[in-house]
Amino acid sequence: MTIPSTPAHGSSGAYAAARRQDLRLDLAIGFALLAIAVIIPILSPGKYILGQFTLFFIWACVVTQWNLVFGVAGVYSLAQMAVFFLGGYAAAMLGFYLEISIWYGAWVGAVFAVFVSVVIGAATLRLQGPYVLLLTLAIAVVIQALVQSDVNCFFYEGKICYPLTGGPRGLMKFGDLGFRDWLAYKQAPLGTYYLGLLLLVINTIFAFVIIKSPFGSAFRALRDNQPLASSRGIARVKYQILVFALSGFFTGLMGSVYAGHFRTIGPALLDLDLLLFLFSMLVVGGLGSRWGPIIGCIIIMVANELMKDLGEWRMIAFGAITVAFIVLLREGVVGVIQSVWRGYIVPRVPWLSDVRRSGLAE
Amino acid sequence: MDDSAHEPLLSCRGVFKYFGAMAAVDDLNLDVQQGEVLGIGGPNGAGKTTLFDVISGLNPASAGTITFDGNDITKANPVQICHAGLSRTYQLNAAFETLPVRENILCASYYGPRNVFFPKLRFDREAQRITDEVLEFTELLDYEMVIARELPVLQRKLLMIASALATRPRLLLLDEPVGGLNVDEIEVVMALVRRMREDRPLTVILIEHVMRFLVALSDRVVVMHHGSKIYEGLAEGLTKDQTVVDVYLGEGAARRLEHIIDEELHHGHDAS
Repeated sequence: MTIPSTPAHGSSGAYAAARRQDLRLDLAIGFALLAIAVIIPILSPGKYILGQFTLFFIWACVVTQWNLVFGVAGVYSLAQMAVFFLGGYAAAMLGFYLEISIWYGAWVGAVFAVFVSVVIGAATLRLQGPYVLLLTLAIAVVIQALVQSDVNCFFYEGKICYPLTGGPRGLMKFGDLGFRDWLAYKQAPLGTYYLGLLLLVINTIFAFVIIKSPFGSAFRALRDNQPLASSRGIARVKYQILVFALSGFFTGLMGSVYAGHFRTIGPALLDLDLLLFLFSMLVVGGLGSRWGPIIGCIIIMVANELMKDLGEWRMIAFGAITVAFIVLLREGVVGVIQSVWRGYIVPRVPWLSDVRRSGLAE
Repeated sequence: MDDSAHEPLLSCRGVFKYFGAMAAVDDLNLDVQQGEVLGIGGPNGAGKTTLFDVISGLNPASAGTITFDGNDITKANPVQICHAGLSRTYQLNAAFETLPVRENILCASYYGPRNVFFPKLRFDREAQRITDEVLEFTELLDYEMVIARELPVLQRKLLMIASALATRPRLLLLDEPVGGLNVDEIEVVMALVRRMREDRPLTVILIEHVMRFLVALSDRVVVMHHGSKIYEGLAEGLTKDQTVVDVYLGEGAARRLEHIIDEELHHGHDAS
């Protein structure tokens, strides 16, 4: 073996070695992607491309956190965008009514999102599988309907009537991240770009640590076999609520970043086609896998660019892609890469084969 | 044998389990002494697995009391019962399908022995040590990196027992540990159960249809029928009990079993 065998925590050599190799692979992929992401703005690709990348960072975070609940813990929640929306909305309302900077409001939004997420997690405790989908989708739809139908005037600005939540138009003029003031006007998009990138890095490390730790094992154990997990001391109620709480934080935080970036947030965020768009990222990348959300996000956003001319047909295309992956490629692109890696590459490269005959779970 | 004035480790008193009007477990009384192996046999639908579900908290009793080590566990949930030191396996080859063997056992050795209030970011030394020990004990070391769903059937059975052992139980409930295995594989599991008893003061209740296995390992046998106990005693008495022969064994099987019991007894004498 190429690895000096000092088994950590006295655990057996082969498993620990495989884990270390996983970690090095993660670091290699991570640094490669990070290097590309850092360099891109230097090539001055223009405002549109930068904006799309910033959006990519936000969606990749949201899908990574969704993956913890949906993929790793196997709780089929569709309320992810509702958590994102409410986290962002909390920050936006604080900015609008109390003139609190979004930099502070974002933390309040994140904590509020944790609370919302925990409530949704608790509500789904007695349900299984598709019933969780139905309930969580209903929650998202109801929240959207409540905001959209809010037309009672809360205050007037001149003759214009403003509902408390902004109603169908949503909220605006609650301030932004302030990059326009700090940086020159032309450089401002770079601010959100690098902020998004930084948050994606932190968010990814956070998710990977959870997936690799005893938390992740407990979540997967409950996903795979709930009665067995409880007979081995893993309480469903506790860990289901925990996974909702953990994933809620970054989801809500990114909601505020979204609001700060676009300087507007409205109930359109809860539209079904946006949910489907993000869901296809989750499925195409590979449910429950570590890199799945980011890879899925890259693929779907590129596909989205390429299909720009299709207009409304795009959503049908994403629907078809999602269904195709669910039926034919359950484990997503990451699953395909893994089986090629294990089936073709490892057996043909002698120095790899002793460490990685079968590989780890995710 | 010392006179057991000790409290039984597990005691079921007047336990009922109803599904609608049907009593799957019907007024059952059962005592299991510390260190004993109790075998439970009986026809399909006799309520054997339901009894395990009731004891392990998966499907609580409709009436009656169950005490484990002096504590009332009738209403306790599976997690509490696991932490109290009572562990079970399942008839179906239950495992965490997508996890490697080692992680399957780590889950049990980390979360099983006591309540983990808030997990750490790594499995602790103790959990790793127990896992190594259990992997070696059940001869699964070579399989530790294999994903559970890709395991051969014998190793799946062993994994299930290994993950139950990793919770450090004092009472182990084995539900058909050799169901679906061939003769050689049965020997492997049999040897494992024997080693388990030598290794530590473990009390075992096992359900099994393979009478050879049941008779060879059990100190005492209970036969259930329609949720009640129709026989309780030594294995040797099974073939002489007309009710057991009629409802469960049948004449032919009873004769073959008698033969097996004879052989077992001889083995026992040879060994001593």
